[in-house]
Amino acid sequence: MHSLWLYLHFPNLQLDSYALEERAITSPLVILDSTNSIVQLNQAARDLGINIQMTLGTAAALHHDLQVVPFNPKIEEQRLSLIAQNLYLIVSDISFFSPQGLLLKVHNMLGLYGDLNTLWGMIRKQLTSHHVHFSYASGHSPLAAKLLAVRGWNKVTCEHEEIRRALKHINLVFTDLTSKEIGKLNSVGIKTVEELFSVPFGDLAKRFDTQVITYLGQLRGDFKHPVDFFHPKEHFQQYIELLYEIERSDVLIKPIQHLLTSLENFLLQRDELTQQLHLTLYQRDMPPLNVKIGSQQGEYRARTWSALLTLRFESLVLNAPIVALQLTTGKTFVRSPDKQDLFLGRQGAVSRLQLVSLLSAKLGENVLFSPGTMNDYRPECASKYTPPLEVNESAALYHSSLRPSLLLPVPIILSEVVSIMQGPERISTGWWDHHSVVRDYFIAMSQNGQWFWIFRTPEKQWFLHGIFS
Amino acid sequence: MNLTIDELKNKRLIWQANQVSGAQNTLPSGFEALDAHLQGGLPERGVVDISTAIGIGELRLLLPSFVLRQQSSEKLLVFIAPPVRLNGPMLLQLGFDLTRILIIEPKNAKDALWSAEQCLKSGCCEGVFLWHQSVEIHQAKRLQFAAETGGALSIIIRQKTHEHFSLPVSLTMDLAAAPEGIDVTITKRKGGSHSEPFVVNMVKAWPALTRRLPIRKNIPLATIHSLTD
Repeated sequence: MHSLWLYLHFPNLQLDSYALEERAITSPLVILDSTNSIVQLNQAARDLGINIQMTLGTAAALHHDLQVVPFNPKIEEQRLSLIAQNLYLIVSDISFFSPQGLLLKVHNMLGLYGDLNTLWGMIRKQLTSHHVHFSYASGHSPLAAKLLAVRGWNKVTCEHEEIRRALKHINLVFTDLTSKEIGKLNSVGIKTVEELFSVPFGDLAKRFDTQVITYLGQLRGDFKHPVDFFHPKEHFQQYIELLYEIERSDVLIKPIQHLLTSLENFLLQRDELTQQLHLTLYQRDMPPLNVKIGSQQGEYRARTWSALLTLRFESLVLNAPIVALQLTTGKTFVRSPDKQDLFLGRQGAVSRLQLVSLLSAKLGENVLFSPGTMNDYRPECASKYTPPLEVNESAALYHSSLRPSLLLPVPIILSEVVSIMQGPERISTGWWDHHSVVRDYFIAMSQNGQWFWIFRTPEKQWFLHGIFS
Repeated sequence: MNLTIDELKNKRLIWQANQVSGAQNTLPSGFEALDAHLQGGLPERGVVDISTAIGIGELRLLLPSFVLRQQSSEKLLVFIAPPVRLNGPMLLQLGFDLTRILIIEPKNAKDALWSAEQCLKSGCCEGVFLWHQSVEIHQAKRLQFAAETGGALSIIIRQKTHEHFSLPVSLTMDLAAAPEGIDVTITKRKGGSHSEPFVVNMVKAWPALTRRLPIRKNIPLATIHSLTD
């Protein structure tokens, strides 16, 4: 089987990442590189007559209200890695071949998908969900595929002849050769790839340096082209920069919605769930704000996460406008199917763990507990609050004496007139851990008929410790 | 017909005997006297409004029913805003599975009501105890609706005050201290009538927390455990 590569070229990655915001589509927007010339622009800007490579001055002369954003390679990089992650589910060998393009090794996947059109159909479907502009081409070598894709050939074929024919008319300007080398080739009358191919290797090697020869060899597919393949990350991480700063947390939900949707896709494709999301809100002139949101049961659906986040945002105070967002997941784990009992009858809409997540999202930390017991004679140590619904084995109790249902965390001085009904029960323990207790406990009744659990210290002081409610 | 009565009927603050189609489902409370007066026991779902002083045996009266409920289902029991911390060992002694008990200590009364509603309608809680002093009528209606949706029983525990009004819920009871147990007055019951005060005898269940005044038994001589055991 002869080799076949597919190259995807994304010319507008940064611009496409702004397309989430509506205003970025309707008003003219250009992206400038460091030399102040336009590298990316949207349709609204193109309609005004602005072109790529135009300087900012010229563009500003054409339209007075132009939105200008500096070029940020970091955004493109993250976007590209996200696309690669999703394509990895279809194609096993993906390489970040250039800052704006992905190279896919196709020939070894044909056995799985049957033919090239089926495979391309899958890839295309995956790419459409990302809402990015792209051009593509197949090639017999990585460089051939790249060259054709950058030229916008937009054809996928395994016929090497057809690929070679398409390559022929491409001007050398579009190749990866440096302008100096192209100048040298032009001066001997070689202007297109076809002309370059027609010169015997040996003759070229005499006149030109190894870089040209290597390029040519790799373009023709005669030389081996080593490629580093990408390994997918286990965690989800996505960053978006907002074109317009957001000051209200309720407005913030909308861009987050997009992050959650791509999280949902990420987890759904892996059939995984996550229990925690870390949302980082980058504030202007302020340290970033970290928002943690948990779902005890593990969740992947964007709808559920956004409901939890909306609750969380109700109590969130933004100190400064938000300029960027980042969403990462904590640990992910493989989903196990829900076990539902057919005979239990009415099933609730939410599970216990979902309820706990819902409550803790709204109420905050340190509000939810489960009662727990410790093997200790000291009443305040025997009872403790534990994190909610944690399955810990309740320690067996040494004693089975009567204990009150309500216990004061710290005993208070008894201020009521009571009559002692039962007692004493002496508890004298804890000398080993600096919390020694010597108390005589009594069950007492107040004049109103309330039942108290009181104790007397060796100093003859009386305290109220519990209520037999 | 009297306008005021019409109005009250529209607000579902009063019922007429013929409106009620059959008694509601009940579950035993664990005390025979109470079951007899309630014709079966505490309602299976809905809201019970309890006005009581603290520490007279109100939880001892209500909890046994929930122990029984917990044994027959996998659902949660929730305590919202208890006035004092709940004591784990006592709950364990009563027979509760502590891993299916949730305690919520909300920061304010509004959050308490919100959590109660969420728990009730979730369908994964069988009971919700809510300590709340000022539940308003519309809030009680919401809780009642949530409880019926989720098939749960909510107990609202309020302190007795002067301007006390009863809530439009399944059952309203007044509790008072009594020497041999607890004094119960059913003030309002959906599908039933109010009752004269009666005493739920707890001598058997809680011998140490009742007073057996009238009959003086022969007090046995003190036994020394270390010798007899």
